[in-house]
Amino acid sequence: MNENNMNYSVREYIKEVEKNLPEWLKNKKEHKEILADLEEHLWSKAEELSETGEPDEKSVMLAIEHMGTPQNIAKEYKRRGEPKYYITKELAPSYIKALSTVFGIIVALVIIGLIVSFFTGDSSFETLIGGLFTGIQTGLLLSFTIVTIVFVALSMEGYFPEDFKSKKEQKLMKQLREQEIEEGVPVSQTLKQPLKPFIKPAGEIVGGGIALFFGIVLLSQPFPTYMFFPDFLMILRIFGLITMLEGSLDISRGIIGNRRPKTHQVLHALIIPLKLSVIPLIVILMNRPEIFPFFSEPWIHVGIPIEFYDEYRAIFSVIIAIISLTTIENIYNIIKIQKYK
Amino acid sequence: MDTEFQEYASKFESEINRGISTLSILSIINQYGENGVHGYQISKDLLEQTHKKLVIEEGTLYPILRKLEDDRIIKSEREKEGRKRKYYYLTVYGEKIYNYLSGFYSILTEAISPLFDVSVHLKQHKYLYCPACANKIDLQNLEAKYCDVCGHYIEKELDERGLAK
Repeated sequence: MNENNMNYSVREYIKEVEKNLPEWLKNKKEHKEILADLEEHLWSKAEELSETGEPDEKSVMLAIEHMGTPQNIAKEYKRRGEPKYYITKELAPSYIKALSTVFGIIVALVIIGLIVSFFTGDSSFETLIGGLFTGIQTGLLLSFTIVTIVFVALSMEGYFPEDFKSKKEQKLMKQLREQEIEEGVPVSQTLKQPLKPFIKPAGEIVGGGIALFFGIVLLSQPFPTYMFFPDFLMILRIFGLITMLEGSLDISRGIIGNRRPKTHQVLHALIIPLKLSVIPLIVILMNRPEIFPFFSEPWIHVGIPIEFYDEYRAIFSVIIAIISLTTIENIYNIIKIQKYK
Repeated sequence: MDTEFQEYASKFESEINRGISTLSILSIINQYGENGVHGYQISKDLLEQTHKKLVIEEGTLYPILRKLEDDRIIKSEREKEGRKRKYYYLTVYGEKIYNYLSGFYSILTEAISPLFDVSVHLKQHKYLYCPACANKIDLQNLEAKYCDVCGHYIEKELDERGLAK
């Protein structure tokens, strides 16, 4: 093997390493330096292995062997991030953010579709509600699958969220991280200032207290119950119980204050199913307008008049949409608090 | 050796080697102190000092070094002249991490040695292993009377060795 052939072997080996490197690394200027370091190492090794001190055919081939396969080298660069199931810990917040954004868009689109059909189409109310749930269910399942597959693939390649940011942003993030370490406080990436406390304890305690009181009232029902249908009163009690639990969780968050971010995340995660459990109650009420109190002269309870059924159900549909959207707020809070860990 | 045995053994070996290789790389960088050391020298020393027993594919050394640099354990500087090699140094934080992990690993190795019927003895005359956290404290360069990792007061231990002032 002459000098040209030796150069060719080294070049081919380096080219193969480059081909196998993860995309996030190839996008960085640094990857050229990595390849140059590998080449430098390879020639030094070939010199050492050669009997004459000058690289020769045999020593170059041996040196390449010592370097390891290009796939193994690339695999090491992909081994980035702390494994957390199939999605790395570093990508997990972006994954949840992407899921909630996609979920929010799907729910909003389906609701808009429903409202449009409600006013323009001639489908029955039941068909529309059926369509709402089927649409949301299919959309969520499909988007969950796609988003999850994408993030598992990105985790396997060793991507970090900053790899999707511009060089300027990456530089800024690095500076902030250093500042964070020096000062020991989390720093806002946009404001370049320490992050504000993530909750207002007094607000949570007052809000939670009001919810708790309201829940107790609905549960104990200290009002003339003979004016209402028993089934409606039962729904009120269940709603009261859920409100009480939610209020208690808010008070707990207020008492904990701006400490123990993980506990806050758990509490937010508990509030989500509580909020969603109100939806079946609303669906029951939507299907039974005859039990909903409608006061009219001479102040005795009657169900919703048939001519108002559509409006009655439309109002409840909007309430369902609002509840679904407020659960997204809880998911957002879980992600936001992640920065304070 | 059958394939199943080979595959299992090789997987297990790389699991054991992973952390040990990184710690050994840090040990070599630590040996060079302020002079720093380039990648090729690290792989050469690694082979020589472990009597060719700790073998890593040399190309995989660079991703490890990059990760250590990303984690602020080491820093690097490129030569301005000549072969323009990259020299690696431990950061202050890296030194602290290295001392701690080195102590942890030494104590663990000594502790598990009876399981494999081998003898490992810590160089207690040279180092003090913090009784609270296993941090390795160099007695030659003793600067304070407490462990810089966990803050444990080590005067009693120094007194036992007749080193307390």
